[in-house]
Amino acid sequence: MGTTYSGIAMALVASVALLGVSGCSKKSVQSGGDTQSSQHGSTAKSGSTEGSKTGVGNFPDTSMQSGGSGLRGLDKNPSEEHVASGFGASPAGASAGMGGSLLAKADPSDAASRQLDEMRAEQAASASAGLRDVYFGYDSWTISEDQRQALTRDADWMKTNPAAMVKVEGHCDERGTTAYNLVLGEKRAKAVRNFLVELGISANRLSVVSYGKERPSCEEHAESCYQQNRRGHLAVKSGK
Amino acid sequence: MNRRIVMSLVLCGLCLLAAAAGILDSGAADVFLEATRPDFQKIPLGVVSIENNGGPDWLGGRLEEVLKKDVKRSLVFELMDLPSLGIKVRDVGNGLGNGSKAVFKQAAENGVSVLVWGKAGLKKGEKEDDVNMEGFVYDSGSDEIVGGKRYAGSPSVVRLMAHRFADELVFRYTGEPGIARTKIAYVSAHGAARELFVMDYDGYDARQLTADGFLNLMPRWSPDRRFLVFTAYRDRNTQDIDMIELATGKRWTLVSYGGLNITPALSPDGNFLAFASSHEGNSELYRLDTRTKAVQRLTTNPAGDLSPSWSPTGRELAFVSDRGGGPQVFLMSSDGSNVRRLTFEGDYNAAPAWSPRGNWIAYVCRTPRKEYKLCVISPDGQKRMQLTTGGGIDDSPSWSPDGRHLAFSSTADGKSHIYMIDADGKDLERLTFEGSHNSAPSWSPAS
Repeated sequence: MGTTYSGIAMALVASVALLGVSGCSKKSVQSGGDTQSSQHGSTAKSGSTEGSKTGVGNFPDTSMQSGGSGLRGLDKNPSEEHVASGFGASPAGASAGMGGSLLAKADPSDAASRQLDEMRAEQAASASAGLRDVYFGYDSWTISEDQRQALTRDADWMKTNPAAMVKVEGHCDERGTTAYNLVLGEKRAKAVRNFLVELGISANRLSVVSYGKERPSCEEHAESCYQQNRRGHLAVKSGK
Repeated sequence: MNRRIVMSLVLCGLCLLAAAAGILDSGAADVFLEATRPDFQKIPLGVVSIENNGGPDWLGGRLEEVLKKDVKRSLVFELMDLPSLGIKVRDVGNGLGNGSKAVFKQAAENGVSVLVWGKAGLKKGEKEDDVNMEGFVYDSGSDEIVGGKRYAGSPSVVRLMAHRFADELVFRYTGEPGIARTKIAYVSAHGAARELFVMDYDGYDARQLTADGFLNLMPRWSPDRRFLVFTAYRDRNTQDIDMIELATGKRWTLVSYGGLNITPALSPDGNFLAFASSHEGNSELYRLDTRTKAVQRLTTNPAGDLSPSWSPTGRELAFVSDRGGGPQVFLMSSDGSNVRRLTFEGDYNAAPAWSPRGNWIAYVCRTPRKEYKLCVISPDGQKRMQLTTGGGIDDSPSWSPDGRHLAFSSTADGKSHIYMIDADGKDLERLTFEGSHNSAPSWSPAS
């Protein structure tokens, strides 16, 4: 009985697998979310309001299945297939399976140069304020005693400059995964923010952001370098 | 007595039907029976040659080289070295001449099951001369030329022609679509910024997708290969989960809560986006219904929860949580119920990736020597294996759609680059050679 069962189960699995390969298209029409969708950076605003749905934007249907493998099988008298560089699902009726649309070229926008300008302004403001970074141990987000002294001086500067808004950046060394280091970086940034609040700085003057291991200040694969990258960096926000 | 046996047979038949309905209903099984079993016999295949027929000098050789590498990487075929078997590598033409008959006979006698050959040349195109290629397949089991393919296209798609032919071979002998036409999305440093790129699965033909000038991280494919979801930093200070359409470069913001918005992953049917967000305090997992836009919170825990990876059926999620101190891999049902810890060895296990065949979960494991390497574990936790060794920091494992390979990033050669390795830890291959930092590979579904 056991053999019969597994035999039938195998046959079923095989037939399911074959169905998957033949890949009949499930849906062919996009939901139309396109036209109303919020373009990047235009209407969607950071949804800091708790429990609301403001943090979810409109977007196109992602459940559309691709139109099969595009493979036609070997043929004793093969007809010519036109091969074009393409991506994603082939439009229905395309002459060849891979005749999809071309990959869009990255648009060299002003965004990059604007980012650079703003970063330079931020760095200049932070440098003239003389704010100090806070350094952390391996895997740790605890602020040690000596680092508290640096933060106390940072807090003093913020008290004498009550209009300044400060961004606390959490950074990590390159060890560990990209994803977990983003969480670790946020824990570090929040530890710094919480300590500054304890010292009497208003929380609404402080924002936190984690860069994980993605913006190292030092690129060597050595502890001397890792030490510099495990940091909470205080940046004076420029402009808004 | 006899009647009882008959009754139980009938009952058993009913439960078989129920089981059958269950499998058909879900559209997929949890663990697939497939050709990654250790006892799977690779099919011996020889590539005779792709002869030049009026094209540029490099043409035939290029096609032959790409085809051979694809055949080897398919892991379906054993690429046979024909000259070492005494089989003369020469033009077998249309396969009908006496010379080719002799080659076929020799191949069959030497256990070569499949012989492949072809020719390539130029054809007048509208703007420039098109390249064309013909490929043929001889099967020694049936002693016949089972068929061929003819392709034409611009010189820029020569590699793609070979990839396509390789996938046809895999399709012919396994019914699977092959991986030679798949892509790998990844992050590459561009000045101080990190931007999204997409390349062919063998590392060729890299294209830049974003040019924001800051950070774009951890891309993941939509099941239909049309989109990538990823984390984008807007104005450097806040994170969004964005989606980009590959064909147009058009972008949408899917999630823009305050705090972390990271590790997005679309379900295999594309109907749900799982992601981690810290807008309610610390990093928690959420599930967004892409049709209704309803958001369901999946985890409630003072520790960090992140990095969801869907099982191939979409019924379960692997994820990372540091609720026990260091990060460990956990499993849960895709509605957030039935949470259980999967990894117990070592104090740092993260970045899980559930194999498209269901049988393994790859992840980054920290060894007793504090090295970050790739490990795989079965979903029941019974089998565990370390795949990579050495001092490099390995990160971001991503399965090929056939479940036979993993792409990952490593600093093994100094700077971070993208590598590929077989699911059993063999055949390590470096895929990127340019740039100062390439990371977070995501292997596309098969087309």
